[in-house]
Amino acid sequence: MVFYEMKKIFSKSSSKAALVFLGFALCLIIYFAMGEVSYVNPEGEGTKGIAAARHLEKEKEKWKGTLTTERLQQVIRENNKVNQSPQAKSENTKENDQAFSRKQGFSDIRELLNKAFTGFQEYDYFRADTLTEEEAGQFYKKRTENLKAWLAEEGGGADQFTKTEKEFLVNQYKSLETPWYYESSDGFDAWFTWSPTICMLVVLTVGFLVSGIFSCEKRYRAASVYFASYHGRKKAVLAKIKAGVLTATLVYWGIMLLYSAVVLGCLGLQGSQCVIQTQFGKWKSFYAMTIGQEYAYILLGGYIGCLFFTLLTMLISSWSHSGTAAVIVPFALILAPSFLAETQIPFVDKILGLLPDQLLQVELVISHFSLYSLGGKIIGALPVLLVLYSVLCAGLLPVVYRIYRRKEVRE
Amino acid sequence: MELEMNNLTKKFGDFTAVKQLNLSMTRGVYGLLGKNGAGKTTFMRMLCTLLTPTEGNILCDGRDIFKMEGEYRKLLGYLPQDFGFYPEFTVRDYLLYIASIKGLPPAVAKKRTKELLAAVGLEKYAGRKMKKLSGGMKRRAGIAQAMMNHPKILILDEPTAGLDPNERIRFRNLISEFSEDRLVLLSTHIVSDVEYIANDIWLMNEGEIVRQGTPKQITESMKQKVWECLVEKRAVPLLARQYKISNMKADTQGVQVRVIAGEKPAEYAKEAVPSLEDAFLYYFGEEAGDNHGIL
Repeated sequence: MVFYEMKKIFSKSSSKAALVFLGFALCLIIYFAMGEVSYVNPEGEGTKGIAAARHLEKEKEKWKGTLTTERLQQVIRENNKVNQSPQAKSENTKENDQAFSRKQGFSDIRELLNKAFTGFQEYDYFRADTLTEEEAGQFYKKRTENLKAWLAEEGGGADQFTKTEKEFLVNQYKSLETPWYYESSDGFDAWFTWSPTICMLVVLTVGFLVSGIFSCEKRYRAASVYFASYHGRKKAVLAKIKAGVLTATLVYWGIMLLYSAVVLGCLGLQGSQCVIQTQFGKWKSFYAMTIGQEYAYILLGGYIGCLFFTLLTMLISSWSHSGTAAVIVPFALILAPSFLAETQIPFVDKILGLLPDQLLQVELVISHFSLYSLGGKIIGALPVLLVLYSVLCAGLLPVVYRIYRRKEVRE
Repeated sequence: MELEMNNLTKKFGDFTAVKQLNLSMTRGVYGLLGKNGAGKTTFMRMLCTLLTPTEGNILCDGRDIFKMEGEYRKLLGYLPQDFGFYPEFTVRDYLLYIASIKGLPPAVAKKRTKELLAAVGLEKYAGRKMKKLSGGMKRRAGIAQAMMNHPKILILDEPTAGLDPNERIRFRNLISEFSEDRLVLLSTHIVSDVEYIANDIWLMNEGEIVRQGTPKQITESMKQKVWECLVEKRAVPLLARQYKISNMKADTQGVQVRVIAGEKPAEYAKEAVPSLEDAFLYYFGEEAGDNHGIL
């Protein structure tokens, strides 16, 4: 039965077209992801893509290891040395690029220094150039101090968080084990950048595919024969749900693994052992996890989100018998938060942080300070989202089943 | 096997589609005759557990069919009036799918599909997509799916719609053959579909069974109600305003008219042997004088 339900889904021309579209979008995203890595050779010429990734990896390889004070001092020293070179001081941009090419190997660590030694909400690209080797010892301390200063600041974190939340954030920062291990994670960085886009495209495509699972019986006027059959109100309904879940699983993992294989295969798998704070956009994150774990959470969150939207689509399809409504509602639920985010209504942030679209952009959830209080205990949005939507998915299964098996055939 | 309906009623808002039916069915072919909107489809949908009754119940050998669930549907074969299918499926795939939801094991399903494809003359088209079949072929595929599980109860709603005369004869023979030791309920507004094969005929109108009996009993009830007479062409409209006319045939001498009337429509009219079609017209035909009085 599941086989035939899958056949009903995939034999439609519209489904085939949707899959072709998804395949095309995947190719385009892979192309963009490849362009995320750029390299400037010693002659000052820039390149992008796989070759750039290989060269850059080679450069960064020299700097991999634990970020001790000595290593940070070494970076400051090397950075200053390059800055003092005639190419760096030259008015000629080509020569500036040649100087920059010598900084690429430690550019990630240099960025971390920029982050650590400017204010919490500030960024100064040239801050590392003004650092002395003595300051390097303050690197980890500065991260926590900056947070504390911001949390005490009027108009900053002071108004946004409760005392308990502030304590939670500071403790999270302090508890992060130091010194950090560093190695290049350009492959993962590129993968993360485009993961929300690919996740959303997968969810919308899967939603389109499964929207007809229940409504097709009415659309094809086949519901009478279906419901009058032996399994029509039990196993056949289960087969539809299984087909929906299987479709979501196959398409999601198929696309995500293909995306991973190509992007990480071409740009490199290294960096999975580093803490996420070594990434440019995750410096402030309070989550204690490695880049490898972040990758796993993104995949897991995306899958739970995909399953949730699939089940929601099936729920609407089974209740309304309308494939169109079944596609529109999840689509709106994905897009609506973008509009609501612009409003200044109190608590909207808290609500938006728990909407299912967040599961499709776990990378952003990890970067943000979304906190929730559960029984007096402060907890980050990520575990709440993962547990909440796993439970909701499990709860939706019997609801979809019950709604559809009790349908009457009136037309 | 006995199906029993007690005070069976179905309402849709204020409209009562089926009114207080008390009927019983055992083996054989039952013909359900009635014009469109009489409540036949609603009645059949309740028999197929597609609609729940507003009042009353349906018992199968003394057990409520809605409580029997799959156990009852296992006995059931149903061809709906508006038979739908999955357009991208081939005929074979469609029948195999139906076999799977009817609970047939895959090996049995394959064998049964082959048998049915031969029985309905679709062997050559087994690999053709359902959407590419002609209307008659689709109907035949519909009949095949209804018979897939060797149903003890076969419910056919307008099964011959779209079939050509040859196909209708073939279908009638198939049902006759099949109905031995089974219960077949066949709804139609084409009288000849049931005239030869039904053991019992129910005439349904406005949700009620207005007449019930064997074809012979029903035609006998029409004694002194069917008349034939030869009239001049100009006299036909006047006759049509007064009586229901079941047939007219013009020739050089005038128009041979078959009239349904409780009284002799004219001195020179002769009583004719009534047919089931006359009974149908008598019970369901438009009122005399109506614009549609002349069929």
